[in-house]
Amino acid sequence: MSAKNADLAPSFARPPARVAVRRAASYDLDLLAILRETIREFNLPVQGKSVLLKVNFVWHDPLGAISTHPAVVVAAREAFLSLGASSVIIADGPGLERDIEAIAESMRLRDYLGNMTTALVDLNTDDVHPVALKTRASNLKKLYLPAKILGADFVVSMPKMKTHHWSGVTLSLKNMFGIVPGSCYGWPKNILHWAGISNSILDINSAVRPDFAIVDGITAMEGNGPIQGSAKSCGLLVLGDDPVAVDSTCARIMCLRPERIDYIRQAGLLLGHLQEEKILQLGEKPELVKTPFAVLDDFRHLSIGLSLN
Amino acid sequence: MTTNSSVARDSQSFRASLIQLLVDSQNSDGGWGYHRGGESATEPASWVLCALQNEERTAESQHAISRGKDWLLRTQTHDGSWPAFASQKEGCWVTSLACLALHEVAADAGAISRGLEWLCRSWPRTPNFFQRMRERFSPASVVTRQNNSLAGWSWTPNTGSWVEPTSYALIFMLRLAPAELSPAALKRKFLAEAMLCDRMCPGGGWNSGNPLVYGAAGEALAAPTVWALLALRNFPMLPQVRESLQWLENSIHQILGSGSVAIAHMCMEVYGRRVPSLDARLQTLFEADRFLDNLHVTALAALSLNSNRKLFPPAAQEPPLP
Repeated sequence: MSAKNADLAPSFARPPARVAVRRAASYDLDLLAILRETIREFNLPVQGKSVLLKVNFVWHDPLGAISTHPAVVVAAREAFLSLGASSVIIADGPGLERDIEAIAESMRLRDYLGNMTTALVDLNTDDVHPVALKTRASNLKKLYLPAKILGADFVVSMPKMKTHHWSGVTLSLKNMFGIVPGSCYGWPKNILHWAGISNSILDINSAVRPDFAIVDGITAMEGNGPIQGSAKSCGLLVLGDDPVAVDSTCARIMCLRPERIDYIRQAGLLLGHLQEEKILQLGEKPELVKTPFAVLDDFRHLSIGLSLN
Repeated sequence: MTTNSSVARDSQSFRASLIQLLVDSQNSDGGWGYHRGGESATEPASWVLCALQNEERTAESQHAISRGKDWLLRTQTHDGSWPAFASQKEGCWVTSLACLALHEVAADAGAISRGLEWLCRSWPRTPNFFQRMRERFSPASVVTRQNNSLAGWSWTPNTGSWVEPTSYALIFMLRLAPAELSPAALKRKFLAEAMLCDRMCPGGGWNSGNPLVYGAAGEALAAPTVWALLALRNFPMLPQVRESLQWLENSIHQILGSGSVAIAHMCMEVYGRRVPSLDARLQTLFEADRFLDNLHVTALAALSLNSNRKLFPPAAQEPPLP
């Protein structure tokens, strides 16, 4: 079993990235239509493929500000199925609350999805395979990763747009922390903290680089994220075929400087495009939807502030 | 109309069906995976063995226990620890659960003793010299508030202390006779009990082990709270135990998820608290999603439904820690 999604190349050797910013004022809209239409624009190779939606189900979330909202998740699932995917599973390995069923119940996932048994996969308890890491940003060298992730034809990272008290922001790259299985590494996956959060993010994404990203920024989180921050209504969905470009665009929308966020800056070396000129923007122009996110004092240096634009 | 006896019959038959599911899901190598047909793993295998051992024995379940015990004994590494999956070589947090299960099924004392020795040798990682200096001279820069000199157990070697692995080790040690605990084990046990008390969230209960981050109080979770309370069940008068038990009692109707619901109920029972009916709630959850086909959760549910279980005897009525 190999990590087939790994795709390391310097920025100059990559084609431009495509990122689409869509307005979606609430979760009650026809998100399926928005996502299906947008994903179709990317002409993704999902026909007959198994798709894994790596969501961010991190904590009990009755108010919809912490985890990827089930309305977005289920709309994405139906969109990929309607575009010809042979199967679409929803997967995560929560890093703090190990009872993924409790998280799903708190978000009322069942109301949107129906029976959860066949579609929801707990990556924390999946079978695992050893994967030699392709980069040495951290000293990890090897990780056991879930068979479902390694076996998927097409991996979609589906984070919530949030600030994060350890890493500045948590978007599609940081979301991949959740593929590291708790069965081997615990709750939290403390080995990644000791190895350096930014460096671990880079090594994990080098092993399994998401093929696509869909960021739930309809209701986002600012301040002391990823759990104890404040809900922030942004009314946005951000999609793209390059996780670094998606995260950079989201950071700019959040009025943060992506080049000052350690792991995004370093990801720009081998994992995707950081520079705006290498990103083909579809849909809304990011500068028109910018909204400043509050950050903790330790991350003040990331802030642009609205006045700079 | 449902009578009490028919409810009891239904409950027994539900528990029996879970036990049968566990027996039927045993892998050909004698272990159990997290899911039926999945690679055998130490955590589900250990809890399934505990669940089966606490039931009335049948020839079939006895055979399953015997094969499961052999699988656990085969998968112990040369240093006395157990890996998460049989195909791995590195021991980790599941060592406490393997020792607990082997103790319950009266397995070879040598294997348990080697596991205990590994636990006693396995110290968590603590902040280095520079980090300690920063904590001392620049306390405002420290974002978490906890006493790192109180060592518990880590999830993986060379990482920090956390609530659940610490609780599992203590739960295992509680099943041993005092004479079976070496001075080194007693020292670790004492430190770990103090570490759990230090890590309680403001307002009671435990999360994974960060009671305060950036000045914000950590929110407690059901599972770490249950395991910590079961680990501290010899100290029911400790303020941390009383406060956390109260948190659990207040929260019990809001707890979601089959595994969390089951163990929360079991914990309340161990402490002699009145508990709402578990059977109907678990049956509803099982009918909805079959516990997401998770055998580890199924084993915990069966164990929790068994009020005659010996694994977690009633909490003691002892004076608090000195």
